[in-house]
Amino acid sequence: MKPLKYLYDWIDVRIGARDIVEKELTGYLLPRNINVWYSMGSILLVIFSLQVLTGILLLIHFVPDADKAFTSVSNITNNVPFGWLIHTCHAVGSNMMVLVLLLHMLSVLFMGSYKRPRELNWLTGFTLFTLVQGICLTGYLLPWSQLSFWATTVATNSVNAIPVVGSFLVEFLRGGKLVGPATLGRFFALHVAVIPVAIAALVGAHLFLLQRTGVSTPPFGIKDSSNPWKGDTYRYEEHPGGIPFFPNYMLDDLRSISIYLACFLGVVFFAPHVFFPATAFLPANPYLTPAHIKPEWYFLANYQTLKIFPSEIIGLAIQGAAMTFLALLPFIDRGAEKHPLKRPVFMVCAIGGLLLWIGLTIWGHYS
Amino acid sequence: MGALLMIFRSRTGQSRIFKGVLSGLLLTVFLPILPSLALAQEQQEIVCIQCHSGLEEKYSQPVKLWRSSIHAVNGIACNACHGGDPKDMANAMNPARGFLGVPGEKDIPAFCGRCHVGVTKDYLSSAHGLALGKGGPTCVTCHGSHLVRKVSLELISEKYCTQCHNFERAKLIKDAMLETELLIVAIDGRIEGFKNQGTDTGKLEQSLFAVRNRFHTLFHDVDVEKVKKESTQINGELKKIDNVLQGLDDARRKRKIAGACAVAGALLAGLLFHLLRKTYA
Repeated sequence: MKPLKYLYDWIDVRIGARDIVEKELTGYLLPRNINVWYSMGSILLVIFSLQVLTGILLLIHFVPDADKAFTSVSNITNNVPFGWLIHTCHAVGSNMMVLVLLLHMLSVLFMGSYKRPRELNWLTGFTLFTLVQGICLTGYLLPWSQLSFWATTVATNSVNAIPVVGSFLVEFLRGGKLVGPATLGRFFALHVAVIPVAIAALVGAHLFLLQRTGVSTPPFGIKDSSNPWKGDTYRYEEHPGGIPFFPNYMLDDLRSISIYLACFLGVVFFAPHVFFPATAFLPANPYLTPAHIKPEWYFLANYQTLKIFPSEIIGLAIQGAAMTFLALLPFIDRGAEKHPLKRPVFMVCAIGGLLLWIGLTIWGHYS
Repeated sequence: MGALLMIFRSRTGQSRIFKGVLSGLLLTVFLPILPSLALAQEQQEIVCIQCHSGLEEKYSQPVKLWRSSIHAVNGIACNACHGGDPKDMANAMNPARGFLGVPGEKDIPAFCGRCHVGVTKDYLSSAHGLALGKGGPTCVTCHGSHLVRKVSLELISEKYCTQCHNFERAKLIKDAMLETELLIVAIDGRIEGFKNQGTDTGKLEQSLFAVRNRFHTLFHDVDVEKVKKESTQINGELKKIDNVLQGLDDARRKRKIAGACAVAGALLAGLLFHLLRKTYA
């Protein structure tokens, strides 16, 4: 251990490493009643890192050319050593990222952590949710399979329903009248450069805001000992007598991450095709439309909503209004109470909305 | 909003910028919704089907039969056999556009043989083919004309064979080929299963295609001993394909064992972190 201590001392006298550790790790106190749901953010960071790592490895062999994309993916999964594992981790990981992100947002909603002074935390988180869906959508096209081609054709075609700029947007997204090599190029650039950088920047902003406001106190368990924000001036929410982030909560985080990895690896090794129909493994054929084109599971509720209404624009408007309401929730729900059982209106709306979303998803799947 | 648009539209350059900005904003708000607009897109049917579907039974029946055929499954439409222009209602049946119409009985093998070249050769050299025009069967006698059936041993049946002769000899041939047929069907299903899960089955499909074609040449043969001998050789070829599939199964089994270890490792790590956390209470 002596060489390590020597190294630590060597760094400490130069950059004050002990001060940083004291301030950001051992001296960084969290509420005593903090719970497992607070680990969702750490799990998401792990997922995002894994997506970046597997994505870079895939980039070594992937060819973003309409004539070669499908063959290159097939080569990765069949010939490249452990290519099947890297590809499956990346594909399953994208779905898991959306799932964990939804759980993270639900926990924030039910524990009232979005409330002031954390409006900006919520807004950056909500934008991250949108970007994650965007990166999933753009990544969907890259294998240039029947599923990718037709899902993208229908998804980009639907943009036509937007008033005024609909047709302009369709061509802008596709890079032409139809989905083709230009679309692949655009989606590839968005998927590997633009959106990951935007996500990384927003994750940084999200963490910065968390660091500035302090961790919110859960509304359950022991009495709150923090110094709540009054709205008059900036105040970091401290938790005197709380538990240190390192090593206590970091171990909690690591336990949650391990359990997540067990679930993730379970899907990767035992049900890798649960998210992918057979059309995901056929090369794109612009002249052969598959019998049933359905969006990914997390878009099924929206898909079903649009089918219910006779006009696409009405369905779009309703969903646009719902998304706007959700994005602006901290500015609408301004009460100080955070305990869900003491917020009956919120509970009715949240549980009703959640059941509606699940119902529409199931309906969309079987319709 | 409308007035704003008019102002911006009056200046082309600014209009483009405005549209770009507005597009970006709308895209951000609607991005989570847009892909869900995956509304089923009906493929436009060719004019032959559009027209014939509405005609009297005699002319609409072929469309109904074709819909259940192997041709329909593989996207082989009316014009692939009968010619003509499937996109131009007025000239769909114009000989100048290659329309051939209905072939005479003697012309049927050549009609089908434009695509099924090898099989036509087998047929013409068989007892069936030699009797063409003398009361012998044509392709459609066994395979159907519009309700074209997928080639399988089911075609050698009392129902079809007794249209012309008794079933005794045909039954002997069918029994000799049954094992091979079952092997081909089983291997085909397994290849399909691997293909549907992303395995590159191109070479296996090619091998099976070649073996199946060789097997199908026996379908028009009536020499029982020759059929038995050839079937045994074909079974040997199929065994080689089966061994490759077995190798893929083994690889998957090993992956699952590795996966079980990985999952167990992650759970064990979780347990260790949990126990370590307890010591810091």
